[in-house]
Amino acid sequence: MSQVDHEPGADSGRLPSLGDGNARIREWLAGFGFALPYLVVAAGFLFGPLLLGLFMSFHNWNPIFPAESEFIGLANYEELIADPRFWNAMKNTLYFVVLTVPSIVVGSLLLALGVNREVKGRWVLRAIFFSPYVLTVAVIGLLWTDLFSSTGLIPYYAAQLGINTGSWLTDPTLAMPAITITTIWWSLAFNFVILLAARQNVPERLYEAAKLDGASSWRMMLDITIPQMRNPLIFVVITTFVGSFQVFGQPFIMTSGGPSFSTTTVVMYLYQTAFSAGDFGYAAAVGYVLFMILIFVSLINFYVLGGDGE
Amino acid sequence: MSTETSSLFDEVSFTREQFRSFAVHAALYGTAFLFVVPYAYMFTTSIQPREQIYSDVPFLIPQGFTLRWYEQLLNNSQIINWTINTVLLAGATTIVVLLVDSMIAYSLTRLEWPGRKVVFSVIVASFMVPGIINLVPVFMIVSELGLVNNLIGVILPSVANPLGVFMLYQFFRDIPEELEEAARLDGFSRIRIFTHITLPLMRSALAALGLFIFIWTWNAFLWPLVILQDQAMYTLPIGLVTVQDTMGVTEPGIVMASAVIASAPLLIVFLLLQNHLVRAVEMQGTVG
Repeated sequence: MSQVDHEPGADSGRLPSLGDGNARIREWLAGFGFALPYLVVAAGFLFGPLLLGLFMSFHNWNPIFPAESEFIGLANYEELIADPRFWNAMKNTLYFVVLTVPSIVVGSLLLALGVNREVKGRWVLRAIFFSPYVLTVAVIGLLWTDLFSSTGLIPYYAAQLGINTGSWLTDPTLAMPAITITTIWWSLAFNFVILLAARQNVPERLYEAAKLDGASSWRMMLDITIPQMRNPLIFVVITTFVGSFQVFGQPFIMTSGGPSFSTTTVVMYLYQTAFSAGDFGYAAAVGYVLFMILIFVSLINFYVLGGDGE
Repeated sequence: MSTETSSLFDEVSFTREQFRSFAVHAALYGTAFLFVVPYAYMFTTSIQPREQIYSDVPFLIPQGFTLRWYEQLLNNSQIINWTINTVLLAGATTIVVLLVDSMIAYSLTRLEWPGRKVVFSVIVASFMVPGIINLVPVFMIVSELGLVNNLIGVILPSVANPLGVFMLYQFFRDIPEELEEAARLDGFSRIRIFTHITLPLMRSALAALGLFIFIWTWNAFLWPLVILQDQAMYTLPIGLVTVQDTMGVTEPGIVMASAVIASAPLLIVFLLLQNHLVRAVEMQGTVG
């Protein structure tokens, strides 16, 4: 870095001008120098791996002696298309996405609109709704595992209401909904804060004008609030989709993917393939397929919701 | 100007407005109650004697008091090591990310160099890369570098995250350059301008980003799980989920005590610095 730290006196009294080749080159060097640390790390741990992952996915990868990996073309992808465990994981992931994304988007929007109103103690409410954001998935997972266990809070109160559920996490039909409820409790926070800020950025005069015209609250919501919040809403929808497709910690901690593989998600499958089975090439292929799906889903969301491309 | 009209409006729909306000309060506070229940359960279970934990009725308010779960946890697990590792990891990552990200943000917004537009576009595009798809190749790289089971092996992949670069880029762009220009005319070097003028101007943005990175790294699960394989090297999140295996017992009291230890520091920081964190999250909302 010292090469860019030219002495203060070096260009003192001289204005760098476009014609001054020396000063220009110094500026180039300074520019590269300041950018370099991030670029090196990003090359090694973000962009490089992106290519390496693609390369690995075409190999029967040998994690101990990578140089001895055997090139097998598209065989990993062919295997994946015929792999019932991959499709089961994909099905579970889609089920999770369908359960969580609408609940989280609508739930966080309702909370944001509610807290934005003239309610008493809105700072307390904001703190409470935002607080799960600072918890690790490990705490979330352990806590809700207990809440859903056969002697836990939730089956107890369900039984009080006359619904006998037993432990949710060992029940193939209830395990994924339990993970969904856990995720909603955890993930509303982030979107809630973003949408609350977005709502507060909508100019009040729009509502005043609409009230003068006698518009109902419902109309104002549809005609002012939602359109004005469009970009933050698109952001929330896309990030929630992308995040939900990558769900890992909750099922990993709460169910280990069970019972009978009903909560094994794609990322869990990827993790197991790589770190339990040691099949790195295949796991890289799973990662790439998931990547393609996520890009596809994001683009669809963007066009369906009418992003303005900024 | 609209006060007259809106008070007229209020009068017309007086009862309806009142009813709506009541409904909104009830819904919000009802939801808030549901949000608080898990915290109450976690804390209560961690300080209750065994009889109450195993009673048929679950308690949200402690019916007795004991510290035995905390004692057992401290004596029979490596939770102190895990806490130290977590603080080291979160602290080091925060410092490195702030330094590296603010340097490149400075370079991208203040300095003219060939290719910087391309570099910026590539960084923006890399938002589309979900971290998870790099899990396997990054693990290979970390392992080839001999950094498995090493905190540095967890730090480096976090530093590559483009989020901070983009957040700081926006802030640097919005801060007027006059002061820096003046310093340049006075013959200050780039590094002195950066450290003595730009960074101090950016204090609040750096604080917000720093807090966010700290919490993010403290809570990170997947990377530490993959990279840190020796129990003594675990961070709190990884240690927590293995407590039951390593201590050989499934005691809800111990598990909840570990959850309290892992989350209490962040919840306290959260209560004190909530506005910074809100700001960091809002900054992300403007990325989109």
